[in-house]
Amino acid sequence: MRPLSHRLIAVLLLCATGFARADGMLMMRIPMRAEIVFAYAKSSIEEHGYSVAHIQLCDGGMTDFGYKTDFYRVLFFGKLAEVRRISEKYPELVSYVPLKLAVIAEKDDTLLTVLNPEVLAPYFADAEVQIQLSRWHSDLESILDDVRRSIGKRIAHAD
Amino acid sequence: MQKFPLLRRLCALLLAFAAAQAAAAPDGLELYIAHCSACHRVEGQGGIGLPLPAEKLAEVTDDYLHKTIRLGRPGRVMPAFERLSDAQVDAIVRFLRERTETKDPGFDNDQVVGDAAHGELVYNEHCIKCHAADGTGEGEGTGVTQSRERSFLVMPASISNSGFLGSASDRMIHTVVEHGRRWSGMPAFGDGKLSDGDINDVVAYVRSFEQRQSAPEAIGPDERPTHIYESPHDFETTIANIKTALTGANFRIFPDRFVEQGVTDEFSVNQRQVGIRFCNFNVLYGMLKIEPRLGIVLPCRITVMERPDGTVIMAIPNLRVVSRWFNNDELVGLWDQMEETFTEIIDEVTL
Ligand code: HEC
Ligand code: HEC
Repeated sequence: MRPLSHRLIAVLLLCATGFARADGMLMMRIPMRAEIVFAYAKSSIEEHGYSVAHIQLCDGGMTDFGYKTDFYRVLFFGKLAEVRRISEKYPELVSYVPLKLAVIAEKDDTLLTVLNPEVLAPYFADAEVQIQLSRWHSDLESILDDVRRSIGKRIAHAD
Repeated sequence: MQKFPLLRRLCALLLAFAAAQAAAAPDGLELYIAHCSACHRVEGQGGIGLPLPAEKLAEVTDDYLHKTIRLGRPGRVMPAFERLSDAQVDAIVRFLRERTETKDPGFDNDQVVGDAAHGELVYNEHCIKCHAADGTGEGEGTGVTQSRERSFLVMPASISNSGFLGSASDRMIHTVVEHGRRWSGMPAFGDGKLSDGDINDVVAYVRSFEQRQSAPEAIGPDERPTHIYESPHDFETTIANIKTALTGANFRIFPDRFVEQGVTDEFSVNQRQVGIRFCNFNVLYGMLKIEPRLGIVLPCRITVMERPDGTVIMAIPNLRVVSRWFNNDELVGLWDQMEETFTEIIDEVTL
């Protein structure tokens, strides 16, 4: 197979749009080290108006227990008004907030993974929940898209 | 253009790319990056998904690729891409062809006639050690080993999966067995190891897996995303009881976090809603090898909330719902085990 050049990958990252929508999981692969992708993901989440509530160091936890693991962290994030309204009106959704984004190293690549909130849509009749779930969905897509574009630019500049 | 050196450079690259790829359909490439590369990688090296190298694509038809994209692999991670248009699926297939410089091998769709009973014997002798008795594959996990240790370099696909059997023609299965997939560890059986008749028989046997499939479970009328239990105790006692029960079940408990913690300041955070988080690293480590994405639903959490009327409720995610996110049958045991643990803990707390 012909290998793709680094620059070409940068162009691809900059030009591609959208991703695995039909899936329960929204996923994106970024050809960049996880530490760097993590930083971009965190700032994109904040730029979308969310507060990063917590960072779960899955890798740290496993290492403490003597297991070998690559970079594996989960960002927890939410907006106060949304979290509050959900816990008041829809306690059935509370287990799924704050939202989460996993940053998983796969050798030199990084996988970004989020649960597609729309999987929860069939369980609720309320328009309010439907709107909330689809807003989250589009924010999550936009966050992943942002990370991809930013990394694409970074690779292009590095040439 | 002078003001935008980056943009100019990108345009130049895009043009160069278009020229190099001649008749390439750029949308196929974009679509592949968008929908497939997370699992199969940009150049088809494989990851959570199987490798898609030229040697493999030369021995599968366009029809197989189309159907694989549409059907996915139910219970084997790859989703069914039902919302892509026919033109988009065509574009992805065209891209795969151009990328690997391969052509549809033009297999016929004729049924291979063989003796499935004899095929079972052949299968048990030659295939079972990699593909398992039920065809789902020996060893745990899918795709290619990346950052995790596993038993095979390339995990054998499930050949009893409805997505596979619904896509592959008999002739294709025959060819895979005959030529093997040497680059990923499946030997060729056509070099005198098995006669053509034996291969026909084993194809008939692999086909017979089709009859053993059960339909995926639909959402039941009473299925809810979360189990909500009312606690007979007050807020503090409920939390203390949950922790005692978790410790008894050998979980490591993390520091509590208020539901609103981190999204607001410490003065306005609602302290009557708390998540009790816990994990079993031993189980987790084993499961991550099977499903690298599992960390997204961890740690486990029981949320305790005091409602305005003073009642205390405990919210636990319904793992049947959580499992729908993963499309991974290998996790069924984990969900069952966790569901049982949750039930025991709730029983202990509400006693
Ligand atoms: C979430 C991960 C994931 C995504 C996204 C995904 N796949 Fe797959 N794919 C897999 C897995 C896993 C398998 C192997 C299933 C098994 O082990 O039984 C597979 C198998 C395949 C196969 C069969 C390979 C063979 O050996 O015959 C093809 C072809 C394929 N995928 C193409 C695609 C295309 C094209 C896309 C994008 C439209 C895509 N996949 C998206 C995970 C994925
Ligand atoms: C040493 C292990 C091994 C043995 C023995 C073996 N296979 Fe495989 N087989 C694999 C691996 C690994 C793959 C996946 C390779 C890949 O996709 O790159 C595979 C793939 C396949 C596929 C294609 C599945 C798909 O989704 O494309 C079929 C069909 C298959 N094997 C049938 C058989 C049969 C029938 C036999 C016995 C005659 C057999 N295999 C023996 C390891 C083995």
